[in-house]
Amino acid sequence: MIEFDRVSFSYGNRLVLNDLSFSVHEDERAAILGGSGDGKTTVLKLIIGLLRPDSGKILIDGEDITEKTEDELRDIRIKFSMVFQDGALFDSLSVKENVAFPLREYTSMTEEEIDRKVRELLRRVGLEEAIGHMPEELSGGMHRRVAIMRSMAAFQPKMFLYDEATTGLDPVSADVICKLILDISEQGGGFIIVTHKVFDAFRLANRFMFLKGGRIVFDGDREAMLGSNIPEVRIFLRELSINCNG
Amino acid sequence: MKKRIKEFISDLQDFYLLSFHGLMGVVRRPFYFKDMIEQMDYAGSGSLFIILLISLFIGMALSLQLSAELSRLGLKMYTGKVVGISIIREIGPVLTALVFAGRVGSGIASELGSMVLGHQVDTLRVFGVDPVKKLVTPRILSAILMLPVLTIIGDCVSLFGAYYVAVFVSHQSGTFFWSSIRDILIYENVLAGSIKPFIFGSLIACISCYMGLSTKGGAIGLRRTTTRAVVASFIAIIVADFILTRVLLYVLGFSV
Repeated sequence: MIEFDRVSFSYGNRLVLNDLSFSVHEDERAAILGGSGDGKTTVLKLIIGLLRPDSGKILIDGEDITEKTEDELRDIRIKFSMVFQDGALFDSLSVKENVAFPLREYTSMTEEEIDRKVRELLRRVGLEEAIGHMPEELSGGMHRRVAIMRSMAAFQPKMFLYDEATTGLDPVSADVICKLILDISEQGGGFIIVTHKVFDAFRLANRFMFLKGGRIVFDGDREAMLGSNIPEVRIFLRELSINCNG
Repeated sequence: MKKRIKEFISDLQDFYLLSFHGLMGVVRRPFYFKDMIEQMDYAGSGSLFIILLISLFIGMALSLQLSAELSRLGLKMYTGKVVGISIIREIGPVLTALVFAGRVGSGIASELGSMVLGHQVDTLRVFGVDPVKKLVTPRILSAILMLPVLTIIGDCVSLFGAYYVAVFVSHQSGTFFWSSIRDILIYENVLAGSIKPFIFGSLIACISCYMGLSTKGGAIGLRRTTTRAVVASFIAIIVADFILTRVLLYVLGFSV
């Protein structure tokens, strides 16, 4: 379970999160919505200890991670699978080497076993043909698919963290990514997705949190969100009507 | 003003810490040999042609200038000696380091900077990989190993360029030119020219890695990072050269 207890965080003089408190169970499908620069990605980075809060506590399965060293955080990080915006594939490595990267770091598999595992993962997302490609040769959607497979190659995480998983993709590619996220989730493990695409969030999640001014101004299910009177939430919900009418 | 000084001191502290951890990575597991070989290839063979070209023309220009000036004083036969000392002790190491900083240092800074902006460094941390050991240590090591090699090659090519001008343009004796060079290849001169590239190499790599890993702010930030890495490396090389020259002359017993 992830628990934020009065967490504040700032980049230099700019306060991004202000006394933020919330908790998410590992089997939940949560979406964090909000505008650009409202700290959505920062929340994900804080969960896996890539950033340290200015104040407050972050508890993972009851354990405070705010004072942990990089080595100690390794045990926390393997509980999660993090997929960054745009996939964050290593430019200098091929698709195969990207997916094999965590296998080489975390396991003692032989080259043959690694090759078999990588092919199996890529087959699952229909990208076995692209095994020898370099990241620059892939489309945005393919990037994300490879990144998702890479993130779960070496171990089975308890929870998935997706940073803007469908942002910048065409509707067909976004649909493929949404189906993949749901498919993975059905096999166990909840997720937190941060996005500003309400349409995709509604497809994927059953809990919605809206981040504004460093705080969560809305936390509820789909019906509650649709009925919300918070002006910023209403603005975001307009996307739904555009998508539905369109 | 006070805030700027505080930021500068904080940056300096971060730089020293990164350099220290980067160098300590040489003796601490895991070792990324493959990354180091790749970096050595990029830094070494990738820079070879430009170093050869620049060194050749600098050697020729230096020989031309000195021949012209020394012949006015009736001391043309000392061209080889003066050119040799200038190249081996000073111009060779500094020139090679400047070219290396411009090519390799800027490459390191922009590569690491784009990795930071593309969340690739964060991804390494998520996978439990120490970015300093994986990215910084191989680059520091490759610079420390390759810059001295490039300097030696550059010195040799410069001397050949100087020999060509001295013999075929200034009509001096080739045998006398090489015997002058042999005379100056004494332990003190060779040591004075050999220590510098190791220091320059570590400075360039540490500065470029630090600048790259502290990149912020998209394409503009990346441009700023690359510029700062090259400018800071140039300044560090020139300042370090003066300090090293002063120390080495004192240690090796040269009177000034």
